[in-house]
Amino acid sequence: MAIVLFRVDDRLIHGQVVVGWGRPLGVNRIVLVDEQVATSAWEQDLYRMAVTPDIEVEFLTVADAAARLRDWQADVRRTLVLTGDLDTMAALHALDPVTVHRINLGGIHHRAGRRERLPYLYLTDDEMARLMALDAAGAAVAAQDLPTTSPVALKALP
Amino acid sequence: MTDLAPSGALLLVIWGTLVGLDLVSVPQVMIARPVVAGAVAGWLAGDLEAGLRVGVLFELFALDVLPVGAVRYPDYGPATVAGTALAADSPWQFALGLSTAVGLVIAVLGGFGLQWVRRANARAIQRHSAALAAGEGGAIRRLQYGSLLRDAGRAAGLTVLGLVCAWVLAEPLARLDRSTALGLTLVAMGCGLSAVISGALRSAGRGGRLRWLGTGALVGLIVAALR
Amino acid sequence: MNGGWRAWLRLFAVQGTWNYERMLGVGMGYAAEPLLEDLKTVDPVRHTEAVVRSAEFFNCNPNLAGLALGATARAEYDAVPGAQIARLRTALCSPLGALGDQLFWAGLVPLLVGAALIGVALGAAWWALPAFLVVYNLARVATGVWALRTGLDAGMAVGNAIATSWMSRAIERVGPAAGFSIGAAIPLVSAWYLEAIGWPAALGAIAVALTGVAVTRWFGASLTTVRFTLLALVLLVLFRWVLP
Repeated sequence: MAIVLFRVDDRLIHGQVVVGWGRPLGVNRIVLVDEQVATSAWEQDLYRMAVTPDIEVEFLTVADAAARLRDWQADVRRTLVLTGDLDTMAALHALDPVTVHRINLGGIHHRAGRRERLPYLYLTDDEMARLMALDAAGAAVAAQDLPTTSPVALKALP
Repeated sequence: MTDLAPSGALLLVIWGTLVGLDLVSVPQVMIARPVVAGAVAGWLAGDLEAGLRVGVLFELFALDVLPVGAVRYPDYGPATVAGTALAADSPWQFALGLSTAVGLVIAVLGGFGLQWVRRANARAIQRHSAALAAGEGGAIRRLQYGSLLRDAGRAAGLTVLGLVCAWVLAEPLARLDRSTALGLTLVAMGCGLSAVISGALRSAGRGGRLRWLGTGALVGLIVAALR
Repeated sequence: MNGGWRAWLRLFAVQGTWNYERMLGVGMGYAAEPLLEDLKTVDPVRHTEAVVRSAEFFNCNPNLAGLALGATARAEYDAVPGAQIARLRTALCSPLGALGDQLFWAGLVPLLVGAALIGVALGAAWWALPAFLVVYNLARVATGVWALRTGLDAGMAVGNAIATSWMSRAIERVGPAAGFSIGAAIPLVSAWYLEAIGWPAALGAIAVALTGVAVTRWFGASLTTVRFTLLALVLLVLFRWVLP
């Protein structure tokens, strides 16, 4: 499998992604799927700085990313697909449910209306329900901030 | 365990508090690294050798930790102080195993304590949310000082707990038969080595750093053989 | 703009109010206070807005926080729209977290800790440990001063200042050096412990080490090395109790 992780993390590309997951998984490419960043050159420059030169970074919209998921899956290079919110990951799953079949919740932080499910995971009840629907639609959703911590299945979240 | 005078115990509690604070809150000058925390604790307890042996072993465990993001990790600083206090004035070959057991439990409790502090900080922020939304600098200062105090309390409490455990276990350690004590030490050393090797392999990934890790290991092996 | 040195000192406690909601946010607000003081007389309304922004959610490696602190303070004085400053702040979390973690937590710290362990194993603890503290803190303080100054000078152009800085070159070098240092420390520290207990017993410890690596890799996150160690110690005590 060349796409090694589908991750939702509102901090986007940061230390946990590059060092925490990137190294043990041997990631060669990070794809950041975000409608805003895909059209903002200065933000792309900042996010590109976060990775070492041996890792390729791409910034794509949902539609562009969905069109290339099968290519990355067939590629020998190991790819990490990252979104900043649940809606974007759900949209990717809707466009290609076969490829996007396992989703990692890596960091969704506090905002008004959300409550703590795990120290790094805050969700509203509505977001929780949408995740359950995603899970029921065939995507195995689990929370795990780093490879060294145990994954927590969606159904086990408080 | 050395017979600590109250002043000696107080110095260890102060040192444990400082290294506990240094881990995250302030000033992160690396006195929280077990090898440093252990050496100073050993010096304070009058047994530098014990401090170094315990400190280096906990350093091997600490090198398995990458403190990125909001991840929970054990607090090895106060744990090393407690482990050193237990091992002090005993031959380290027989004390290291039990010291490791006590220290690891304290370190894990310290990790949970850090989580508690972080949650308490969040609750304090919620209480001050109106003042923060109004841009009151005084509220920011109060939150900051309160949080530092909370973490200092956590570190001090953890060190006191560790020292009490060391005091309680000093007698059983003295009575422990030598082969069991040595066995515990061997297991502790082996586990420390497995921790540092696992952490190094994970950090090295699959790229050039893995080759440098292997080269370093080869050089270290040659130097060790030549000594 | 005054208050640079006070802000730099306060950055030592930037993680003081670490929490899961705003992460380093309040610590950043605390460090920003001296820098924003002059704004109070120039534009009190803007000052209040800037203080609110300064304490909002923020996360990065603490040693590089000065870049974001300086850049956003400069942007406040330059009257950049608040929404744009907020977006800069959010975007800076990424490179300052990833670069800082690679430079410090995965680079300089293991490099210097490895060197200190080698020093201890070779019988030179008295100079190895002070040298570790001095070298690390010199590097950290120099980085902190550079970060705050660069942020204050660059303002909204801080991204370009980071991109053209020494950091990516340093990360390229420090990573392999850290690997080498830890690699060399492992056999030397092993020998330091094991030669004191005799080689037959040492073989037992090496067997435990290899078992630990294999078992913890096999079980992954469910069996950390700490759990494995406590389990092994308890099993040994039980074994000795059953078979005295």
